[in-house]
Amino acid sequence: MRKFFILFSKYNTYLLFVIYCSISVLFMKLQNDNVLTKLRTSGLEFSAVINEKLMSLTYLFTLNKENERLMRVNTYLLTKVLNFETAAVDERNRRKILNDTTFNPSGYIIARVVDRKFSDHDNMLLINAGWKNGIQKDMTVLVPEGLVGRVTSVSEHFAKVMPVINTDFKVSVVSDSSNCMGLLSWSGGKEFITQVEHIPISSHLKLNERMVTSDFSTFSVRGIPVGRVVRIKPDKLFYTVDVWLAVDFSSLTQVLIAPLKIEPEKVKITTDSTLNEQFP
Amino acid sequence: MTKAFSFSLIILCIASALFQEFGLTRLTFFNVSPDAVTVFLGFLAVSAGQRASTSFGFAVGILTGILSGNMGLNMLSRTVEGFIAGYFHIPEDSHATAKQKTRRFFSAVVIAGFCGNAVIAAGYNPLGLSPAYRVVVLGLLESFITLILAVILHWLFLKKSLVD
Repeated sequence: MRKFFILFSKYNTYLLFVIYCSISVLFMKLQNDNVLTKLRTSGLEFSAVINEKLMSLTYLFTLNKENERLMRVNTYLLTKVLNFETAAVDERNRRKILNDTTFNPSGYIIARVVDRKFSDHDNMLLINAGWKNGIQKDMTVLVPEGLVGRVTSVSEHFAKVMPVINTDFKVSVVSDSSNCMGLLSWSGGKEFITQVEHIPISSHLKLNERMVTSDFSTFSVRGIPVGRVVRIKPDKLFYTVDVWLAVDFSSLTQVLIAPLKIEPEKVKITTDSTLNEQFP
Repeated sequence: MTKAFSFSLIILCIASALFQEFGLTRLTFFNVSPDAVTVFLGFLAVSAGQRASTSFGFAVGILTGILSGNMGLNMLSRTVEGFIAGYFHIPEDSHATAKQKTRRFFSAVVIAGFCGNAVIAAGYNPLGLSPAYRVVVLGLLESFITLILAVILHWLFLKKSLVD
């Protein structure tokens, strides 16, 4: 017995090793045992929970990259949406113009407003149609709601339009009920109010009468709506009339350009005074 | 072995097992990952002896076995690692230099790691590789990677523990 204890104390590490190995082998043999299976399952569940937490922690560190990726996707999608929306709005405006029954759109040129310069005294529009599209100087620019302005200069693909709300713009107008004629101009300030001058105080102009372009105009065809009378102020000889414009210039996106009004004989007779002497 | 030292070893044992299972297993190179438990057992063997390293190897094997779902094989391989590493023990009265202790520590890590990997390779082959390839190629590769980890840990934490 003593010898055994001496042997044990001398080789206890080896004995320990053998015992541990035996237990390990026993565990390997009994790995399908209920208790061991439960223990292993619990361990794996615990391990899975910890790994899940670590994964979510790792995900936090990579959020910057994820955000950058999402920003790139967002930018791409936003560009797509903007393109589609712009195309949809353009198409809607084009259809609106084509479906308008108040005038025949054939012979009219459709253009898009690509730039505008608006201030309280000087306004100008730029449209994406030039002489290649048949645009000429002094053509009338309009929308179904009414008169927009006239073309003042033309390049190959673009044209400059002087709108009604420009202090240099003047057009001869007539009221549709009382046939009162006057000269419409804009004196700056509010972009939806213009003034009509030279309407005699003896005329029967009423409030809310519609003003349209008259035949006297050198560039515009007659009958294009311009606005309606909202204020009549009598002066010594003439009325000062405020007209609420038919066109909303703040939301103008597409316009029509009417064919050029060609009346050379009329122009000639109004400018050449010698013609009067030829007739008896 | 004092009480405080034993307590520190238990904490280190649990920490190395958790670090191995939840941290280093994600760091794989050519299907092998460094082994923090082997480094721990190597350090323990050099400083505390063969009996302690074998016992701690068995204990840490239970822990890693529970966490990895392969108890018996893990217990066996860790016990073997602890036992093999124990041969590199340096007794306290040996007057060995820090350099000698460090060299023994690295040797313990490499040899124990290789033997432990051989035991695992013999009993568990999830990738269906040939046993020779698993034992020799992957065993040597894992030992080398574990040695790098041992060098890093020695440089960071264990330098003071292995002084003259």
